[in-house]
Amino acid sequence: MSAPPVPAAAPPSGSSTDTYRLEGDLPMVDQPAVPFVEIETVRAREFIPAAKEAFAALLAEQGQSKLIRPTFNWAGRNSLFPLHWGLACCAIEFASAFSARWDSERFGIVPRSSPRQCDLMIVNGTVTWKVAHKLITLYEQMPEPKWVIAMGNCATGGGPFRTAYSVVPGVDKLVPVDVYIAGCPPRPEAMIDGILRLEELIRERRE
Amino acid sequence: MQSDDVARTVGAQVGDRLLGVDPFPRTAGRLRFRPDGALEVFRTVKERLGFDHLSMVGGIDWVTHREVLYVVWSDSRRQYLILSADLPADAARIESASPIWPAAEWHERETWELVDIQFDHHPDLRHLLLPDGYEFHPLLRSFKLHEPEELEVKQRSV
Repeated sequence: MSAPPVPAAAPPSGSSTDTYRLEGDLPMVDQPAVPFVEIETVRAREFIPAAKEAFAALLAEQGQSKLIRPTFNWAGRNSLFPLHWGLACCAIEFASAFSARWDSERFGIVPRSSPRQCDLMIVNGTVTWKVAHKLITLYEQMPEPKWVIAMGNCATGGGPFRTAYSVVPGVDKLVPVDVYIAGCPPRPEAMIDGILRLEELIRERRE
Repeated sequence: MQSDDVARTVGAQVGDRLLGVDPFPRTAGRLRFRPDGALEVFRTVKERLGFDHLSMVGGIDWVTHREVLYVVWSDSRRQYLILSADLPADAARIESASPIWPAAEWHERETWELVDIQFDHHPDLRHLLLPDGYEFHPLLRSFKLHEPEELEVKQRSV
């Protein structure tokens, strides 16, 4: 059997002020008169020359490619900006991959509406010959370095429309493709898996 | 409006260029006409009968000949009417309906590129759905599907 709860000690009734004050609370200590920015500046004055020296020593020791390239790869693979466009039904899965349920933004993948701001083109749907030169134009407008993911069977090899008169049998006839995602259409998990495989490719990038 | 009324009104205007009007379910009829009098038939159907909206233009390849179809709609009568003309397969050409119904322009572009029916005096007869420079007419019966490995990508892309 548990004892009934003991009522908490009443606050000291000695003070007649309205504000409640904890027992044993310490009196407030004044902050130092030096402003915060000035402290940080002093620390930075000490830190920046040391960091420069350490960086130069690392460069001289390891060479430029071994240091700069992994840093760029790390930044690039964690901030992939795919082009926000849709060609066919795969675009529905593409859109839901960025919705609240799958939330691809946790990988740093944010779709952008302008090809000038993108480094990843996800070809999500059937590519017809009519739209082929627009796709090439969009690809050429993207700044280097850039990657292409062929999403779904249509973009990979034409899919069920492979022998049709108006469909490009695989988008790799038009632009270089890095990762192919199978499915008709692939689920958002498959699309995220393809992007993570592309991130593995970017990690190994050397040139 | 019944098919007999259509036959009487149109026949009085275009004479023997009207081949007949067959009853067709849920429409005012299916009007068959000779292609050399196309523009007069179109004008009569629009101005005398009041079919002021062109709903669609289509073409069929019957191997022995080709058929071009116009489906027109009258807002006042709330009825459809089907116009059809048979064209020879080796010289499939007909006058364009775009002076009468401007909506015919894009429909005739599509019919030309898919079924290879030439529309005379069309203001801008070029490809609508297929890429520019496409040499085939894919909805013809003689068009063969082929494996994509046989295609020349450079020739088909633009």
